[in-house]
Amino acid sequence: MSPRLAPPSVVAAQTISESSPIASPPFDIIAAYRRILNDDSISMPVAAILALVELIEFSAAGTTFELVQALTDGAEQLKSRTPNSISLSAGVELFVAFVTLFPHESDSFDDLKAELVSEGRKYAQEAQTYRAKIAEFTFKFIKDNAILTHSYSRVVMHALLHAHKHKRISVYVTEARPRGLGIKTCEALTALGVPCTVVLDSAVAYLMDKVDVVLVGSEAVVESGGLINAVGSYQLAIIAKAHHKPFYALAESYKFHRLFPLSQYDLPTHTPNILSFPRAPASTPPPTPARGLSSTNLGHPPPASASMTSDQLARNPEVDYTRPDLITLVFSDVGILTPSGVSQYLVGMFAG
Amino acid sequence: MASNGPKSQSQPSDSTSAPPKSQKTMSKQERRELQEKQRAAKEVAKAQPAKGAKAANKPSQASQDNQSSKKPSKAAEPSTPSLGASASAKSLNATSASTSQHNLTGTEAFGLRIFSHFGAIKHPSGPAKGDIHPAIVRLGRQFAEFAITGANARCIATLTAFQSVIQDYSTPPNTTLSRHLTTHLSHQINHLVGARPMSVSMANAIKHIKVEITNSDIDMPEQNAKDELCHKIDLYIRDRIIVADKVIRTTALRKIQDGDTILTYARSSVVEKVLLYAHSKGREFSVIVVDSRPMLEGKGLLSKLSSAGIRCTYILLPALPSIIDEVNIVFVGAHSMLSNGAVFSRAGTAMVAMMAQERSIPFVVCCETYKYSEGIHLDSFTKNELAPLSVSIPAASSEEVQSEPNLQILNPLYDLTPPTNITAVVTEVGVIPPSSVSSLPFALGRQFI
Repeated sequence: MSPRLAPPSVVAAQTISESSPIASPPFDIIAAYRRILNDDSISMPVAAILALVELIEFSAAGTTFELVQALTDGAEQLKSRTPNSISLSAGVELFVAFVTLFPHESDSFDDLKAELVSEGRKYAQEAQTYRAKIAEFTFKFIKDNAILTHSYSRVVMHALLHAHKHKRISVYVTEARPRGLGIKTCEALTALGVPCTVVLDSAVAYLMDKVDVVLVGSEAVVESGGLINAVGSYQLAIIAKAHHKPFYALAESYKFHRLFPLSQYDLPTHTPNILSFPRAPASTPPPTPARGLSSTNLGHPPPASASMTSDQLARNPEVDYTRPDLITLVFSDVGILTPSGVSQYLVGMFAG
Repeated sequence: MASNGPKSQSQPSDSTSAPPKSQKTMSKQERRELQEKQRAAKEVAKAQPAKGAKAANKPSQASQDNQSSKKPSKAAEPSTPSLGASASAKSLNATSASTSQHNLTGTEAFGLRIFSHFGAIKHPSGPAKGDIHPAIVRLGRQFAEFAITGANARCIATLTAFQSVIQDYSTPPNTTLSRHLTTHLSHQINHLVGARPMSVSMANAIKHIKVEITNSDIDMPEQNAKDELCHKIDLYIRDRIIVADKVIRTTALRKIQDGDTILTYARSSVVEKVLLYAHSKGREFSVIVVDSRPMLEGKGLLSKLSSAGIRCTYILLPALPSIIDEVNIVFVGAHSMLSNGAVFSRAGTAMVAMMAQERSIPFVVCCETYKYSEGIHLDSFTKNELAPLSVSIPAASSEEVQSEPNLQILNPLYDLTPPTNITAVVTEVGVIPPSSVSSLPFALGRQFI
């Protein structure tokens, strides 16, 4: 952490020459992040890590302190510009911790940076294998049975397709309003020959008796052992618990996040606007009745908004927080963990 | 007490200053006088106790006397106030034998039949045994009188007193500081424990100091070694308590939103810091201070918070159910946290936790990691501490209560909040669920806390 990684003379020379690190050709971390995210197999935390790796490559920082400063600045920029930053923060957090704790063995700071870059790339590469690993873990817990999943998750897809190769599974997937990603899951699974049905988010309780196991992905697994995922996961977990069905969360370890939400409203994504009431007279009356009555919309394959106005949608949350006591197990590449095991893993990884 | 009946009947009250006379032959006046004397002696015993071992074979004399003279004394009470006063004045000069005897019968009569394993409240004997440092003697007094309470305050006071002990210490010939100082300190510690059972925070801190002492270099000049030890104690106080509290308050601040109603129970120095800090950072919130007899510690917190300009409500524990629905979050402090995630805290905390959990209100414990205790308790009865009579009964009614033979006063100071009722523990290593408390030593990279 202290700038003791190079002979003092080198450090001094560099710090003087790099007195204004911002002066270097501006590196647009947002653009880099978006470009990396275009690859469909790369999830947000890994994309964030790769974007930060690029930042290191471009950075003119001469000391670890400056470098970490640049990284946190870049991370802040990323977070402020992305609408839902929870998953991304998990990756950022992991990488910044990695950089600060990285053993300084190289001779010059440039070597160190190069090493960090290659390590970051290596990690991202390795991270791509995590899903297969998780699918392997999950496989043992799936029998010939009906699986309920929520929205679209790459790791769940991986696990389902892996299970499909050897077992006769059938999948129910929730529509997952407002983004409607359940449709995407259904299409993908049907194309590969997995029997799949989309159910309404409101039909989960109706369906639950027919389900043997619930599998969900996650945006982040937090320190309490709970789970942050697309809105609707929480109610899925509650209903599963009420029906005594196992509720399994699938999460790559880079989604483990040092965050401890005490309630739904303690999430970083919660804004005062969510669940607020429209300001009295003018705004609501005109749009709602007009849209609400257009029942012809129901026949169509559901677009992003079936009958809610964008204003109404804006008052709704994108993600929710599932309490640890509702989760049976968390499958991750570091093993199959109980929720309290996740939190112990996190405490061991970041504290101290 | 019934089992003691025949035994004490056979023993005349020869140890008191009254003439050896069977109770049956006493007049009403005489019995009254005897009783008054005993009460006064008890008062003396409480203020200036002595070793009670000598009188152990005559345990329940006073209570037996009380029982036999209960009715007459009640009748005589209004008519002879001046007599009672003079009798008690006289008995202040009672012999030490009777003092010690009544000290014992007093504790026996009050509450130690079921919970005797909590340990009788021993007061530091006046002339301290062995080589006790004046700072420790003073501290022992303050502990016994509950002038210093709270795990942090007691720990800091102990460590500061130890610094003066160490500075005034000189190694006897033919031994070394690293070997002898620990035994010297042990005497001081025993004296403190005699005043009031040791808190977990103190135990951890003392363990730490002892390791530092044994690790100190034998070849170092004595004064340097002492200075270094004092410096290490300073570091311990700074790192594990003061800085930890600062980290906790910044962490806890993130859990306080504008418009919150925060509930807290009794008084915790950490929670006080958290609330004052949040207020100074411009958070708009109000506080409900829940308090309970016998200590009524919440009053102190209330005056601190309200003088800082925080809107406060003060209620007693029985009123909790009617107000709990208004609450967004509960913050409490802790005496210690156990490795199964349970939290040992002021009696009444478990009830607040249970009620908060039932309404899904986040129940957050603020606790420094140095209060971690390796053990596991499953209930509040295996280990606890009783509040002394002087704390648990208001002075006015104390005499009346003590003369009641079938009445036991039992005020455990702590209770155990099970991990299922705790949402989160805020420590200086972050916000963790109670299930992760056991991994704290690993997280800190230590064998012990």
